[in-house]
Amino acid sequence: MLDILPQLLINALITGSLYALMSAGLALNYGLLGILNFSHGHFMMLGAYLFLFFLERFQSFSLAIPVTIASSVMFSVIAFNVFIRPFTKFDMVLTLVTTLALSIILESLVSIFFGVNVKSFEANFEVYEISNIFITSLQIGIILSAIIGLSGLGFIIHKTVLGRKIRALASNSNAAQSIAISRHRITYGIFILGTLLAVVAGILLGYETNLSPTMGGGLTIKCFSAMILGGLGNFWGAIVGSYILGLIENLVVGVDIYGYSIPAGYKDAVSFLVILIVLLFFPAGLFKKQERRS
Amino acid sequence: MDYLINLIIFSLIYVLLAGGFNISFGLGRLLNLSHVAGYAIGAYTTALLSTDYQFGFFSCLILSGIFSMLFSLIIGAISLRLSDDYFAIGSLSFSFVISALLINWKSLTRGVLGIPGIPRPDIFTFSISDNLNFLIVLSIAVFLSLFFLNSVFKGPLGRSLKAQGEYSHALEALGVSSFKIRMYSFIISSFFAGISGCFFALYLSYIDPSSFSLSEMVFVLTIVIIGQPGSLLGSSLASFFLVFLPESLRFIELDPGILGPMRQLIYAVILFSTVYTRKASLFPIKRTV
Repeated sequence: MLDILPQLLINALITGSLYALMSAGLALNYGLLGILNFSHGHFMMLGAYLFLFFLERFQSFSLAIPVTIASSVMFSVIAFNVFIRPFTKFDMVLTLVTTLALSIILESLVSIFFGVNVKSFEANFEVYEISNIFITSLQIGIILSAIIGLSGLGFIIHKTVLGRKIRALASNSNAAQSIAISRHRITYGIFILGTLLAVVAGILLGYETNLSPTMGGGLTIKCFSAMILGGLGNFWGAIVGSYILGLIENLVVGVDIYGYSIPAGYKDAVSFLVILIVLLFFPAGLFKKQERRS
Repeated sequence: MDYLINLIIFSLIYVLLAGGFNISFGLGRLLNLSHVAGYAIGAYTTALLSTDYQFGFFSCLILSGIFSMLFSLIIGAISLRLSDDYFAIGSLSFSFVISALLINWKSLTRGVLGIPGIPRPDIFTFSISDNLNFLIVLSIAVFLSLFFLNSVFKGPLGRSLKAQGEYSHALEALGVSSFKIRMYSFIISSFFAGISGCFFALYLSYIDPSSFSLSEMVFVLTIVIIGQPGSLLGSSLASFFLVFLPESLRFIELDPGILGPMRQLIYAVILFSTVYTRKASLFPIKRTV
């Protein structure tokens, strides 16, 4: 078992980086707006499909990237203005229902336009071997983009004026609005930023595995799982939670205990079980002391 | 005629399923996204018991309900203590655990292949292998269930559930445990999910995990929301409406590959537009003191 442990840790780092990119935006959104966006994973799926479409259309990497970014910004603007903002002042259940509806709409639209079959990007990546640890150039790219994306976001949140506004809104929305911080503009920007990070993660995930229209639901749950591990609405908690989740997933499936190991098919079920265990024993997440009961 | 009977049977199954969901979601405002998992458990219980062990009709029906109830006890104990958003996530992850089990526990459920050839057992000497007879039995079951559900809706449990959804602290001040009330509603609703799963398995005689996906959950949610949450008559009529509506797609020439996603798209758009137009009146405004 020990001989594959370094490889497992590297795999955990790779999966964790993907999850961190995915859940960062969702955690920020929850902290600011107090809504859970059930369609977050579907935006990843949509972004990856759009990228595939534009890549096949233009046959050029440098042209496909800006077009994908522009079109996903467009989609997230529509999503925010139509599916989320009109409902924020009503019952919380309403936004859960509308984002759920949005996720089904995205899934069925993608199935209609691209077909329900599994698709994949055509790409070959170099494989490096460092003392029995295998890593592809793509996986190095995933780790690097997580580091760049998250530290950039961290810089914005902790070091800039905008970030101070974001933190003010998250900690006390009324007080922040009373000193002329526009809640609408900031939540708008954060929503778009979160979606963009999700789209990047979706494209990377598309290269790493493959694409299917139904992949969104499971990804959303993984983001939730990471968020719950770190405490809902806690940005850095969600990122640490993502890496913990990646570690758990890889260790559970990779390690065999006395010849008995868990089949790989259950890998996805692990993150769902993590949610339930955390909810049972640490309802406020691993890092937050705040009690949250109804 | 057969086609019509087929549609009516499906509508009645959804009347049962949505009626159960209406208790926990419509009255108690608990967005229980694991309702379809209870439905799946009912269907698989019936499928396994009647194919492998030749259980009779009534034992299948009752055991489906009971297994689904047991399952809801576990979910309820974990997630009913939590607030709205946590509860939705917890129940959603439960439903994903169940679908992962259905796909991967191949020795029991045969995975994505599904279970074919589920027999329809006789009720004493009355054979339900004919669809019309099946419809008669199903209608009786739906009638009895609606009668029971109506008494729950009108009775003390329904009133306390409503109060719990609006302002749970006031309810607790009156000496009612809101956790217990939620739990009761949860158990009752999953019992109905279980028995509707039983009828589903017996009717189709073939089940596989794809029938119990998240889009099925959204379909049930659509039924309850269109029929006004908390209204039993509304959800019953809405299930007929929504089962019959996409049948009009049959008369348009469409690629069969598109048909499934198209139906989902229609349901999701209907769901969204209903919520959009009635966003202020769908639920009574939460009371705060």
